[in-house]
Amino acid sequence: MRAVALWSVMILAVGPVGAGETVVPPVSQRFADGKTDEVPHFQKHVAPLFGRLGCNGRACHGSFQGRGGFRLTLFGYELDTDYEALLDPESPRIDLKDPAESLILVKPTDEEMHEGGKRYEVGSWEYHVLRKWIEAGAPHEKGKLVTLKQLVVEPPEIRFSAPDETVRLRVIAVWEDGTREEVTPLCRFQSNDDQMADVTAEGIVRCRGTGDTHVVVFYDKAVVPVPVMRPVSRYVGPLYPDVETPTKIDELVVARLKKLGIIPSPVTDDVTFLRRVSLDLTGTLPSPEEIRAFLNDSSPDKRAAKIEELLETPAYAAWWTTRLCDWTGNSEAQLINVVPGKSAAQDWYDWIYRRVERNVPYDEIVEGIVLGTSREEGESYRQYCEKMSQIYGSKSGMSFADRSTLPHFWARRNFRSPDDRVVGFAYSFLGVRIQCAQCHKHPFDQWSKDDFAQFRGFFQSVVYNARGSDPKEYRRLIESLGLDPNTRGGELRRELIKRQRKGEVVPFPEVYVATPKKARQRGKGKRARPGRNRTAKLLGAEVVDLSEYRDPRVVLMDWLRRPDNPYFAKAFVNRVWASYFGRGIVEPPDDLNLANPPSNGPLLDYLAKGFIEHGYDMKWLHRTILLSDTYQRDWRPNETNLHDQRHFSRAIPRRLEAEQVFDAVLAATANTARNRSMKQDLQGRAIAVPGPPRNARRDPLNYSLTVFGRSTRESNCDCDRSSDPNLLQVVYLQNDTAVLTRIRNGGWVAEVAGRPAPSQANAKAKAKAMQAAKRRAQNLQKRLTQVQKQLRAARRSPAKRKQAARLQRQVTEIRKALAKVEKQIRPKQSKTAAKSGLKWSLSRAIEDAYLRTLSRPPSREEAAIATEFIGESKTPAEGIEGLLWALINTKEFIVNH
Amino acid sequence: MRGYRTCDGVRRRDFLKVGVVGSLGLALPDYLRLTEAAESGGSGNRKRATSAIFIELAGGPSHLDTFDLKPNAPAEFRGSFKPIKTNVPGVEICEHLSKLAQVADKFCILRGVSHTLAAHQFGREYVLTGNRPLPSLEYPGLGSVLIKERPGTRDMPGFVAVPSTSQRPGFLGVRYAPFSTGATPRANAPFNVRGITLAGGLTVAEIERRKKLRTMLDRAFQGYEEEDQLLEGLDSFSERAHAIITSRKAREAFDISKENPAFAKRFGTTGFGLSCLLACRLIEAGTRCVTVSSNGWDTHQGNFKKLKESLLPTFDEGFSALLWGLEARGLLESTAVFVTGEFGRTPKINKRSPDGGRDHYPRCMFMLLAGGAVRGGQVVGESDDKATQPKHEGFSPDDVAATFYHNLGIDHTKEYHTETGRPIMIVRNGEVIRQVFG
Repeated sequence: MRAVALWSVMILAVGPVGAGETVVPPVSQRFADGKTDEVPHFQKHVAPLFGRLGCNGRACHGSFQGRGGFRLTLFGYELDTDYEALLDPESPRIDLKDPAESLILVKPTDEEMHEGGKRYEVGSWEYHVLRKWIEAGAPHEKGKLVTLKQLVVEPPEIRFSAPDETVRLRVIAVWEDGTREEVTPLCRFQSNDDQMADVTAEGIVRCRGTGDTHVVVFYDKAVVPVPVMRPVSRYVGPLYPDVETPTKIDELVVARLKKLGIIPSPVTDDVTFLRRVSLDLTGTLPSPEEIRAFLNDSSPDKRAAKIEELLETPAYAAWWTTRLCDWTGNSEAQLINVVPGKSAAQDWYDWIYRRVERNVPYDEIVEGIVLGTSREEGESYRQYCEKMSQIYGSKSGMSFADRSTLPHFWARRNFRSPDDRVVGFAYSFLGVRIQCAQCHKHPFDQWSKDDFAQFRGFFQSVVYNARGSDPKEYRRLIESLGLDPNTRGGELRRELIKRQRKGEVVPFPEVYVATPKKARQRGKGKRARPGRNRTAKLLGAEVVDLSEYRDPRVVLMDWLRRPDNPYFAKAFVNRVWASYFGRGIVEPPDDLNLANPPSNGPLLDYLAKGFIEHGYDMKWLHRTILLSDTYQRDWRPNETNLHDQRHFSRAIPRRLEAEQVFDAVLAATANTARNRSMKQDLQGRAIAVPGPPRNARRDPLNYSLTVFGRSTRESNCDCDRSSDPNLLQVVYLQNDTAVLTRIRNGGWVAEVAGRPAPSQANAKAKAKAMQAAKRRAQNLQKRLTQVQKQLRAARRSPAKRKQAARLQRQVTEIRKALAKVEKQIRPKQSKTAAKSGLKWSLSRAIEDAYLRTLSRPPSREEAAIATEFIGESKTPAEGIEGLLWALINTKEFIVNH
Repeated sequence: MRGYRTCDGVRRRDFLKVGVVGSLGLALPDYLRLTEAAESGGSGNRKRATSAIFIELAGGPSHLDTFDLKPNAPAEFRGSFKPIKTNVPGVEICEHLSKLAQVADKFCILRGVSHTLAAHQFGREYVLTGNRPLPSLEYPGLGSVLIKERPGTRDMPGFVAVPSTSQRPGFLGVRYAPFSTGATPRANAPFNVRGITLAGGLTVAEIERRKKLRTMLDRAFQGYEEEDQLLEGLDSFSERAHAIITSRKAREAFDISKENPAFAKRFGTTGFGLSCLLACRLIEAGTRCVTVSSNGWDTHQGNFKKLKESLLPTFDEGFSALLWGLEARGLLESTAVFVTGEFGRTPKINKRSPDGGRDHYPRCMFMLLAGGAVRGGQVVGESDDKATQPKHEGFSPDDVAATFYHNLGIDHTKEYHTETGRPIMIVRNGEVIRQVFG
């Protein structure tokens, strides 16, 4: 039996509908002939019928404008509002005196013109239900809801074995008084994947394809997903082959695959693993030298060792800081003037980076964000301003990252109204898309408008004020700077920035918690605000009296940390999982809702539980996932997992993320030294960019990040980031000046060709050195001739044997020196390179090109194609350039596989 | 680029010359149009627009001093400009728009358009998406919707912004983003466009050679491309990018110096005028949607001086040339033209500068529509005596957007789904303004 908690404060008994318990037959039977004396119930029968008939749909009366002068609440559940609409004295839809003339009877039956067409027949059970209700005087007690204890769906799970098989669902509502009623004809049904199974309005599920999905049942406030599946192949049960499951993750994944008859792909080879793990963990391609070393390493645990090594690099901290900045919404555009004259987005990035680098537990990082205030504990406004002036002043050596919290999160422009905060907070830390409930009942979850409104209470007392929380001190600071207190806006800001740069203490904007007393004072007079809520309700949990808390956010944080919090840990592990597999266990990763169950529930539970047990240790999470066979599988499919997108039976090719693309092009085109230092030296790297800039910029870095879909960080939704391909991206890689220039002048092509690096200063120095070498060579040559002459003379006289020996040694030395100098002068060519006109041998150059782009050596055939191409090029250097261009433009380059 | 030949052996330069002076020669425009016609497989309904040009008057132009004059209003409202007659009896516009007055039969003036968002960013988003902005959702710009519905030719970018636009692809995603030139064309100067211009001595032949190499080396996923949306998508975009980059048509369309001087002359030498010329060439070559933006309309101070001395003469010359040029090339019937600012300006003149200024005023504004099935030479809608609000019902930006889409044969009630699966109509609250077409 499947049951769903409607309000999590209520623990529901889960159990089958016992044979002995009577179940009231459905309304469709009770009202079939209309002869019953029963009076239908508004909440139990009438309101759900509107949903079932589609009356409160968005295109009909659920539209915010209503239709034909009649409006129902979208997706229902605001029973009183709907009831009022039905009895609206201006245009009643119900005629109590002459029930048969009620508009809700004559219109949907099309007796009177109905734009929505015929919804039911005169004399049908639907007709009788509505008519009987009206005849009884349309009873409904406002403000009084009956509680649905449980919604039982039979069967709880469906396993098909052939197409077009059908199963009829039966839905039983268990009410608070213990009565049980079949409500199948009053439910809405929905399939999450029509290709796999569809469902009729009557609840008949039909098998369409293979795989698995859920059919979701909606009734009253309940949302119940019913798993439906049909194995993909005959390899189920005893026919399923032996698959190794070295880790718990593998065990849980394969358990699921086994039911579905999906056989996973084998673990991938070393080069593919290295490229994948390097991109996923550090956002960086492996260097050629790293690849060679890894291939030559024969130790059995080299993959584990590599993961440990990568976890210690600055690139790891930078890449995961970037992801955390996505999820928390770090954006310069939303932080205008939050730190006058400096980048608040950079602060934000640095603050998180510091903590990721030190592997501070995730819950502690979140605590620093959720409880963010500008002032430290015990700091006065003045002390705070002094400290800030110091931090932003030159050469203080202090960083914003030293502060214990990150108030900027609360200072964002799109995070200042309580409504925006509810939506953003739910995305960031719960992975819940609650915004629907801002205006209407959430169509796929339990949340009503009321839940949204009550949750808002936690977010109302946090204030961002550009002039701080202490007006007197603010004025004093302004006066001590000798400024006119009436200066405002941009003029004031410019002046303050100037002063601050001079090392003076200036007032700073502040995020703080307004005390209730203050809040009341602020509410006086003309600008009176509606009173703040004194209580608030946690999502799916209890009501809290806020008057006991100075900072209501403490309650939020405690709730996040509760072991039974259904969202906090899950949302994070699911996002990290999605970063590694291209899709979450719940997909989309920030859409944890009842109608969207995880594709592998036990797996999500295991990871979330383990994460909590390991003290929210992010490195534990990375390690645990990366060491599994499931992560390390090959992308090449077999016949059973070709179409598997949901169960992680192979690696699905993913486009590189925007930052990875830019950095990969940088690494591929840079000289060997820069290529090697990519993971250590973050200078100029996209993963070191704090966030999207305030204004669209067209410099290569920002342009590239934009077209490749870096997170816009506008709504806290994971969908702010895109890894879909598009035309502008391809045009960029194929023909953008920035990329072409980088290929030519990035350093590597010059290095291979033996031409000086293209910087002018460098070229001048080289030319100078060359001239010096030439002069030295001339001198040496002269000296050599001299000494040789002396030597010849000395040899002629036996008495000068000693002298001859000395001269001979001299000649040898001079020759050595000369050879050295001449080597400097001669165009640099190695033995094979003499033929190719490159400094490097052609095969080395081609191999290096492959390693630095595709992270693997070329096959013999590929090397031959490349050799031929270079041979046909005008110059070998141009050929190398063309090869690098071609490799950067392959799918293999732009795809993480 | 110099010196290469067309398939009939005529050098490009010669070809142009032949086109200009020879009696039988085809000018580049004809050539481009023929190519386009061939690509689109001929035209269907001739009165239905297939492409669009937006003129974004950024800052919010004063309606009272341009297309909605109130000569009988008190002095502190009406300002110093006088109305003049146009080539359509009964339609009068500002005296500083004398060239447009001569082509007034080609466009429709909407008066009494009204909304409530007085900030630049929000106003822009509203008028250019046809939906009142929401914090939780970014609507796609009109141009992004257009190229989603009408993808355009293979070797031209579908959506070009000169030099940039406030239109964003919103929830449709970056694949429907405009291709921004980033620069405004200037007279007698080469115009380089990121991604289109061949830089660094690269030739089409070399690009072809590189592409061949890439095709030979890009085999890692061979056999699986069709099974995977990403791989398939990368291949198809790659083909299209290659077509654009190697397309002579694209490069030449962007190169306004290739235009017949007699034709180009009408557009003048201002950045705006030349942008209009570029827009005309791009539409001709098969681009679906071009935006041209013109800045400086935010006339809080010195309203009359700025309008009289630069804004209006520049707009007058460029826009009248665009209408004339589109018609001359037979493109006006197939191109929906939409001119708008983000709002109108306060009817009452402020005195913060000696010349007087006007502030943001969304309650009453004008817009212009032309091309396609739009009936030019008419004024639709009306504002009250002092142009403070619509006289009757008025129109919302939603209505104008619905009308614009209607002109392009796009059903504005069609639904898209956002990334979060939420169904959203293209225009949620608009009604087509039928008078525009009748």
